[in-house]
Amino acid sequence: MDKKLRGPVIINRIYQNSYVRYLLFGLVLGMLPAFLSVTGMNSSYIVNIGGVVIYSIVALGLNLLLGYSGLISLGTAGFMGLGSYIAGYVTATLELPFAACILLVILIPTLIGVLVGLVSLRISGLYLAIATLCVSEILRKTFEEFDMFTGGFSGLKAKYPVIFGIGLSREQTYVFLVVILVLVMMLTHNLVSGQMGRALHAMRGSEVAAQAMGVNILKYRLIAFALATAYAALGGALYIHFIKYSYPAVWTLSMSLNILAVVVVGGLRSIYGTVLGALVVFAVPDLILKRIPVIGSINGISYIFNGILIILIIMLYPQGLAKLVNDIKALVVRLLRKGDVKRD
Amino acid sequence: MSTLLQLLLRSLETGGIYALAALGIIIIYRTSNITHFAQGSMGMFNTFVVTVLFATFGLPLWLATLGGMLSAIISGFLIDFAIIRRTQKVSPVAKQIITLGLIMIFTGVAPMLFGVDPLRLPKFFEAGSVEFFGASISYNGIFNIILGVALMLLLFYILQKTKIGLAIRTTASNESTARLMGVPTRKVTMFSWALAAMLGCLAGVMIAPVTSVTINLMDSVQVNALIACVLGGFQTFYGPILGAYLIGIGKNILVYYVSSVWGEQLLYLIILLFIVFRPQGLVGRKIVKKV
Repeated sequence: MDKKLRGPVIINRIYQNSYVRYLLFGLVLGMLPAFLSVTGMNSSYIVNIGGVVIYSIVALGLNLLLGYSGLISLGTAGFMGLGSYIAGYVTATLELPFAACILLVILIPTLIGVLVGLVSLRISGLYLAIATLCVSEILRKTFEEFDMFTGGFSGLKAKYPVIFGIGLSREQTYVFLVVILVLVMMLTHNLVSGQMGRALHAMRGSEVAAQAMGVNILKYRLIAFALATAYAALGGALYIHFIKYSYPAVWTLSMSLNILAVVVVGGLRSIYGTVLGALVVFAVPDLILKRIPVIGSINGISYIFNGILIILIIMLYPQGLAKLVNDIKALVVRLLRKGDVKRD
Repeated sequence: MSTLLQLLLRSLETGGIYALAALGIIIIYRTSNITHFAQGSMGMFNTFVVTVLFATFGLPLWLATLGGMLSAIISGFLIDFAIIRRTQKVSPVAKQIITLGLIMIFTGVAPMLFGVDPLRLPKFFEAGSVEFFGASISYNGIFNIILGVALMLLLFYILQKTKIGLAIRTTASNESTARLMGVPTRKVTMFSWALAAMLGCLAGVMIAPVTSVTINLMDSVQVNALIACVLGGFQTFYGPILGAYLIGIGKNILVYYVSSVWGEQLLYLIILLFIVFRPQGLVGRKIVKKV
């Protein structure tokens, strides 16, 4: 009896390990190009899902800010754009290696993010949201006018990344994106399960109480903002190397709102939920709605359905899709148990 | 001197457009506790209605505008009836995402009904201008300025002196207490959504002749109106309007006298610094945080 059980117990224990889960998740996601070529499906799905991966990275940053620290930002698009332009300029114009671009991309926007974090000490809530919108608009106008670096309205182009002298193809770039996503998910998991996560939780609950317990508000707000901007900028850098262009009209208020929607629809403080939210907000229109016969060919209908979908999710599941998944899990477990009881 | 006057007059025109949109946002914020990101999209949609009534059905412009008002009222009622009154328990952040869903719906419906080609909407007064201490301003400009100011005076009269205005102010100050006192808060919210949609439509009709009518018509109006609300403070109805006119004036003056490239960024930077040092806005009271 004991020997028979040991195998499944070990497997179970390995499966319970969150890192293994993230790796498995990444493995499944990374298999997509192979899956598409085997089944002979349209390989352009890779572009959609790759976009979802990029937006998930950005949204994980915003989830750290909004979900864990309770600070709201509408500056995401600006920072993402900044990351993409720096990355594009460094690799396409200066022709420096990709690793250098990632370093610069994380460094420069993070400094600006820290400055915004200082602003957040004075204002909060809606005021903070629109103050960050101000920052985002300043950046977007700069992208339009500073055409020496950004190419102005016509935008900046870049190629697929070259890593250690190996030029990647579209499929390989996609796998690279998935690898980065898994690393970011693990990093986020570690950050929020440790001391910092507890400090952020306390801060969100009550600033005064957190301060009384010895949480340094200044330090953790700056860290939260720095991380959110770093994630956004990283996402931007990956964006320009995967979608291959970046122009100012992409980095508007509606992009920031979309990222915010990913976090809220997916569920605050849920890592997998964020990816699920990104799938709903960014991929459902292109992957599913546009492929439905007759309806899909009508102009703009996928937007309408997606808008209705988002509104419905928020009306019926205000805690986000993560809650829905948990509910379904609980339901399945209950049904299975019922089955067991009947068999006895 | 005449250039400055010219700039000021033009600023009053753009500032008026921002002010109309901002007033819609603030009314929704105060009565429904929602940051109304879809104000611009709704205005865009109803401006499309005006344009199509004018261009395709050949109605005179004033009648087409009235038609747009009607569609604005209907869309406002519908949104409140179908969505807003069913979301009492949703958190404020999630409510903002509902307006994002609205943006998606309106940007999807507009090309479906009205096509993807940009349309043109003429001015109320096509030609003619008047000299004014060396500054010239078109009849249409004067009309827009006067219409904006008159509308705002009318709205403030309604808000301060009439029964429905009292109901709106009561709901704005405390929704649940207002309901206990017998104020029909549901009707008030419904009325405010229709009002906000009408203000957005008017702003759209005013700005449309300057550009062409596309789904991006109101993007910059939306952003500037939101910033105007923060600059003026969310606690009063007149603060955002003050903020909107200041943004209009500041933008024109900085772009003309300082730098045509960096003027707007500079303005936003100044506003940002202002908010940092005075978080409650121009005319707001300081909010005291309670432990």
